[in-house]
Amino acid sequence: MTAAADAAVPTPELAVLRGGPLERALARLSELGGRTSEFKGMLSMTLDRGVLVEALTAAKEAGLVMLTDVATVDYLTYPGHRGKRFVVIYNIHDLTGRERLFVRVELDEGETCPTATGVWRGADFLEREAYDMMGIVFEGHPNLRKLLTPEDLEGHPHRKDFPIGESPTLFNDGRFLDPATFRAGLMGKDAGLTGWKGGARDGVRSVQGTLPEEGGES
Amino acid sequence: MTTKAPPRQQEHAEGSFSTEYMRINVGPQHPSTHGVLRLVVDLDGEQIISLKPQIGYLHTGFEKTFEHRTYQQGVTYSNRMDYLHGFGHDLAYVLAVEKLMDSRVPIRAQRVRVILNELNRIASHLIFFGTGLLDMGALTPFFYTQREREKILDIFEMVSGVRMNYGYFRVGGLYQDTPEGFEEAVQAWYDDFWPHLEQYRTLWVGNDIVLARTQGVAVVSPEMAIDYALTGPSLRASGVNLDFRKAQPYSSYEDYSFDVPVYQEGDLWARMMIRFDEMVEAARIVKQALDLLEPGPVKDPDRRISLPPRHELENSMEAVIFHFKLVTEGFHPPKGEVYVPTESARGELGYYIVSDGGSMPYRVKVHAPSLANLQSLEPSSIGGLFADMVINIASFDPVLGDVDK
Amino acid sequence: MGLRDLFEKDVQELEAEGILFSSLQKLVAWGRSNSLWPATFGLACCAIEMMASTNPRTDMARMGSEVFRASPRQADVMIIAGRLSKKMAPVLTRVYQQMPDPKWVISMGACASSGGMFNNYAIVQNVDSVVPVDIFVPGCPPRPEALMYAVMQLQKKVKGEAFDERGVKLPMVEGWSRG
Repeated sequence: MTAAADAAVPTPELAVLRGGPLERALARLSELGGRTSEFKGMLSMTLDRGVLVEALTAAKEAGLVMLTDVATVDYLTYPGHRGKRFVVIYNIHDLTGRERLFVRVELDEGETCPTATGVWRGADFLEREAYDMMGIVFEGHPNLRKLLTPEDLEGHPHRKDFPIGESPTLFNDGRFLDPATFRAGLMGKDAGLTGWKGGARDGVRSVQGTLPEEGGES
Repeated sequence: MTTKAPPRQQEHAEGSFSTEYMRINVGPQHPSTHGVLRLVVDLDGEQIISLKPQIGYLHTGFEKTFEHRTYQQGVTYSNRMDYLHGFGHDLAYVLAVEKLMDSRVPIRAQRVRVILNELNRIASHLIFFGTGLLDMGALTPFFYTQREREKILDIFEMVSGVRMNYGYFRVGGLYQDTPEGFEEAVQAWYDDFWPHLEQYRTLWVGNDIVLARTQGVAVVSPEMAIDYALTGPSLRASGVNLDFRKAQPYSSYEDYSFDVPVYQEGDLWARMMIRFDEMVEAARIVKQALDLLEPGPVKDPDRRISLPPRHELENSMEAVIFHFKLVTEGFHPPKGEVYVPTESARGELGYYIVSDGGSMPYRVKVHAPSLANLQSLEPSSIGGLFADMVINIASFDPVLGDVDK
Repeated sequence: MGLRDLFEKDVQELEAEGILFSSLQKLVAWGRSNSLWPATFGLACCAIEMMASTNPRTDMARMGSEVFRASPRQADVMIIAGRLSKKMAPVLTRVYQQMPDPKWVISMGACASSGGMFNNYAIVQNVDSVVPVDIFVPGCPPRPEALMYAVMQLQKKVKGEAFDERGVKLPMVEGWSRG
């Protein structure tokens, strides 16, 4: 590898292995009504919550035997989002670590999700964390209680309508600063000083500069 | 004692002998837990009947905080989660954002990242041994391993200015190039490391007391490990060969040749000794990366990600504008969700980042390996002795900042 | 005999006599300052630097902190090393109350002193609101040398040689107190 040839951040082989676990799992899950989507080499399958446990069992039998994570996203303030509010993502992969699938279930406020603890006992703490942080109830979970937050904290912190709870900075001479007004950065729905919404506008692509010849950067 | 012993004849005859399990609370402030971990343990004498971890005493709200900071500011927070392998978290975070931005990181930055990451892995395993043997009652190895760790921390201080909780990795590369003397310092450390490693091998790898306390204790079978979402050295100690540096190489790991140690026993001894072999392999990777290191740029030249060099600010208006926008607002990735799995000292580490096109992430979900690893504590400790549970916690190497986020 | 009086006479009688008492108090303060045994309250990253301060390189034991006692009953000073979450705050109060008098608190690091970089729902923004703090140590994390300096400042405070931020001399620790 020469110094000038800078490697890109590697994306896993998108070409799904013929006859491999991912291909079998995708076929089986499509039969159950899953919709496939792909982004930068990552494959996701969106399913109905009624067939989730069957889908996860089928994926496990197809070879995606390891559960990594149970992630949850609250799309309340996502610009341009029209679907249900929550999504629960089961991040599963096979024993070699090369084939990975994200199984997504979309839920509305108040809808429950069936638990995956019957398929992997390791989903126990992960689903409890999802319940505690996002408020998603997992039906059939043996011990669905708060995990990380204190007992007297009401609400679910990772929801978008839960405030971050910043305290203002109070100085000795009486001034106080509100942290939110000093923050850098914008959410996707904000327009910023120039009105440019950045990547949220479709068709805008980043321009790659050229690699400078001299060594070292300031 | 003037009390009489209770009549045993009567009890046997009546069959009214009853026992209760003793429920004791371990922690959250306790010298043997690796942080503020609280366990509620039911004991029958010395044997453990059930064990329930209660966590959350270090919950910091990292993921919520990420949503209120720009992507570049997020690097400040990521290494405070797993503070023993801070560069691992930094690397996982910047790799995910770079994937989202389609950023090209120069090769020198990738190699320096690997060197620092592996040095940090060795430092983390040194603390593992120090505290693990401390839990067994051996007080001296703690000071020996701290001595080695101080030399590694000197290298980190040379590079980033701090011994712990660095701010050296950036999205798009590194903060600045390594100072003069960095390569000599790493080479000097490498030459100095092997005699000490041999000293440790003599001290505790074949030690009778260590063997007696750890062999055959708290066995985790491969099926149990996969079922309980175990990753990292603890999983490899049970026979499953899964290492993301080999499975999905990132940041130039494909250029180095190293072995992944796998043990079949799955007991405490395997979980402890596998980290010893990992230290050896990590040192080999450091040497190979150091030999392949060549001068070059350390930041992605893409002006929308990295700040422009200072001499350009005098001449070019566009550079000033880019600088202004990057500092006040930050860069805007496209909408989408990414996940990049990496291998930290504890297991599979990945950041699931959801971007809404703004300059702050919409949602960051950290898959922290210690939380999933902690679930294996209960099935492997049940039926064992209380004193073994203490070392068992040490063997899964949880870091509570990682567990509680 | 002066020493025998200590065992036989009442404290009020000794106080009336004056001179022996004050030099005895200084002796006790000197002894207390040079044998501060910390209670382990390592929470997060600062705990690792606290452990690192017991290194051979930065030897905290030469300040008298020979052992970090796990039991608060045997400890003099509590070093709160790390970010205090709101779930952990009652535990901190309980451990502090279990420590016998005289006791001191060192708030180590930015997170313990002011919430640090975490200004959110989960972190207590100043440990002083939970327990009375004697020494604040800035840093993220503070170097072991910084913690050593903090212990030296605490030693001065215990002996009565320290000044607070307004220049007022802080009193020496009491040799013994009634009730």
